[in-house]
Amino acid sequence: MTALLLDQVTKDFGDKRAVDDLSFAVGDGEVFGFLGGNGAGKTTSLRMVLDIIRPTSGRIQILGRRPGRENSADLGFLPEERGLYRTMTALETITYFGRLKGMTRNDARAEGKTLLDRFGLGGSANTKIEKLSKGMAQKVQLATAVVNAPRLLILDEPFSGLDPVNQGLLEEEIMRLSRQGSTIVFSTHVMQHAERLCDRLLLLADGRKKFEGTQDEARATLPTRLRLTARETPVGLPGVVSVAKLQETDGWTDWDVRLEPGGDPGDLLQTCTERGFALRRFEQGRPSLHDVFIHIVGGEEGRA
Amino acid sequence: MNNPIFLVAAREFRQIAATRGFWITLLIIPFALAIAPVTAHFMQKDHTAHVMLIDPSGQAAPAIAARIALDHQRQVLQSLSRYSESHDLDRADPHALWARHDQYYTDAEVQAFIASGGLTHADAAMRRVAAPNTQPFGEPDPDYKIVPTPTRLATSDPAALARILPAMVSHARKEPNAEPLDYAVYIPADLASGRAPVQIWSDGPIAGDLMDVLQSTLTRALRLRFLQAQGVRPEMADAAQQIAPMVVVNRPAAGKGREQVMIRSILPLLVSYLLFMSLMLSGSWMLQGTVEERSNRLIEAVLACVSPNQFMYGKLIGTIAVGLTMVAVWVLAAIAAAFATQGMIADILRPALEPLSQPSVALAMIYYFLAGYLMISMIFLTIGAMSDSFRDAQAYLSPVMLLIAMPFAIIAQMVIRDPSSLGVRIMSWIPIYTPFTMLARLGAGVPLWEVIGSGLTLAAFVAIEVVLLGRVFRASLLGSGPKPSLAHIARLMRGRESD
Repeated sequence: MTALLLDQVTKDFGDKRAVDDLSFAVGDGEVFGFLGGNGAGKTTSLRMVLDIIRPTSGRIQILGRRPGRENSADLGFLPEERGLYRTMTALETITYFGRLKGMTRNDARAEGKTLLDRFGLGGSANTKIEKLSKGMAQKVQLATAVVNAPRLLILDEPFSGLDPVNQGLLEEEIMRLSRQGSTIVFSTHVMQHAERLCDRLLLLADGRKKFEGTQDEARATLPTRLRLTARETPVGLPGVVSVAKLQETDGWTDWDVRLEPGGDPGDLLQTCTERGFALRRFEQGRPSLHDVFIHIVGGEEGRA
Repeated sequence: MNNPIFLVAAREFRQIAATRGFWITLLIIPFALAIAPVTAHFMQKDHTAHVMLIDPSGQAAPAIAARIALDHQRQVLQSLSRYSESHDLDRADPHALWARHDQYYTDAEVQAFIASGGLTHADAAMRRVAAPNTQPFGEPDPDYKIVPTPTRLATSDPAALARILPAMVSHARKEPNAEPLDYAVYIPADLASGRAPVQIWSDGPIAGDLMDVLQSTLTRALRLRFLQAQGVRPEMADAAQQIAPMVVVNRPAAGKGREQVMIRSILPLLVSYLLFMSLMLSGSWMLQGTVEERSNRLIEAVLACVSPNQFMYGKLIGTIAVGLTMVAVWVLAAIAAAFATQGMIADILRPALEPLSQPSVALAMIYYFLAGYLMISMIFLTIGAMSDSFRDAQAYLSPVMLLIAMPFAIIAQMVIRDPSSLGVRIMSWIPIYTPFTMLARLGAGVPLWEVIGSGLTLAAFVAIEVVLLGRVFRASLLGSGPKPSLAHIARLMRGRESD
């Protein structure tokens, strides 16, 4: 089943097009990364999903329904810009958001206490937010997003502003919810988090989709890179697109070799063996998502 | 109850109710009403001024003392008349002077009252017909008491008196066990010659009515002597002194009309002022809350759970609930003060609260109160949604406050003069002033067509306001950047730049 579907969604603010003909689908139980630079249209897209703003055109389906507050019982949302009511206590805050999402007062309080205990804040349940440290307040904010054990959790730049301890806590919480069957959609421009968490991802630039697929499919969009140490130049070998000489030691030379996108390093190794092409080193480099991002989005971002 | 509107409203209410300002404001009127009788009691206690008359001739002092005694009896007679009227005791003696109300009692009448047995006789007559639980009549304290003149002063000349008396009337210099003395009056024996003045020693300003007593008594003595010197027979001269116009005070008949007079002056402004005060306070608290929600960036998380409209209505309901709670506590405190206490406060409050017992007036008051609250709160709410800080909000707030507050002062003055004047009636039809003006007028009676007409106009205005300002509110909630200009706000109202 599809947890989230956007079909040819466009959003204009006056003359400015923030999201342009965006279509993608997130399957049930997936952890989906929504990647893009600043101003790419991530927050606008997520706000449309949550019905905080309405699309200019296109169709959105969330858990099989139209966007609206009737979905809030099944949704969790952690906005990029975070804040809490300073004069409410930690537990009151979580209970309030739980009730806004349709929970009973007792259920919301009980779940709030459980979450605070799990986040190490059991002793601060009745402390006002203004008396909590920033890190503690961040944990309370996370608790408000997940208090209703949401079927779909939407996180907008969830790691921004978090200290390393809370980043770890958030990753654990995402994985915990994922294991319980929740669908997670999060936007970020920090690729390391996406690399650790995402099943699939979407790259957005200038409001347009640039890529959608798995991490392996994303990496496949980059030329395969190899590090070879050989006596001869690999130029001319089948599939080799470019070669750069790095250093030479005792008659052996280190080469940075690029294959055409989708090229299989195994084929090259087989050719070398068949031709008696002498090798001391054959090392395949695995491109990072950061490389993929720069490759796909970087140019456009640079021009923007 | 999980209705998001009520959840937002309840949170808004709790947030405001958790502030110290709310509780101080809430309790200030009950506190004032509670201490008012105590203060009044202390202020009234011992208000009898002690007067010493130094009269070498021995002729003026008895006349002054007699005048003071007569004036006190007039006061007793007037109090008895009010007591008899308010406790419905005229039937005890329908021909008695105290059974005639709203009349200034002449000296002859007061003397007749004394001759017929005075207070003792009147009180006995009233007790015979009064219900057992009727509060007993309290004789008012006399304004002045004549104290005996020590012999050494009675024979002193003005120069010696000028040395001795200042210390005797001075509260600061007086000896601890000395008899109280507020005024010392020296009347020279040769007053008629015009060469020696009457002298008064006092530690403060001279009470106006004491001055009247002295002047009228001494003037009368001088005139009598003058008329007699001109050959007028003594009895004619004395009769000339007794000539006085008969004065009748015209007031509406006791009961409904009487109460209306009180209402015209007290209730309208009280209710209107309550609306104004509670609105300004709860409105500014809500504005602070909304600015906090914006500046703390928690609106987006809330808007993921409730729609902007639910959020807006929730905040409005919460604020109105705060205002109504304040007003309810104030009115309950006033009712408690009116019926649980005696004295001046109760005398003012009881008739002032009377119209609330008429369902139609009470309903109309509640309507104008709620509509006024909604109208002004909506403005505060929208300003809060457009502002990142309280300083930002002030820029919008100042002109709005001026627009509302300045005419309010004018309305108050116009209503005091005449609650049905043309100016007041015109203001009743300007929607932003309708609630204040109509609340101020309702107690004194307003034609039904005006109540319905201005009520409908107000309802239409509030509906349009909620739609237009609602657009600005929704569009501004997640906005950032510089404060929107008036032109931009106008575009938002037209719905040109939603989202």
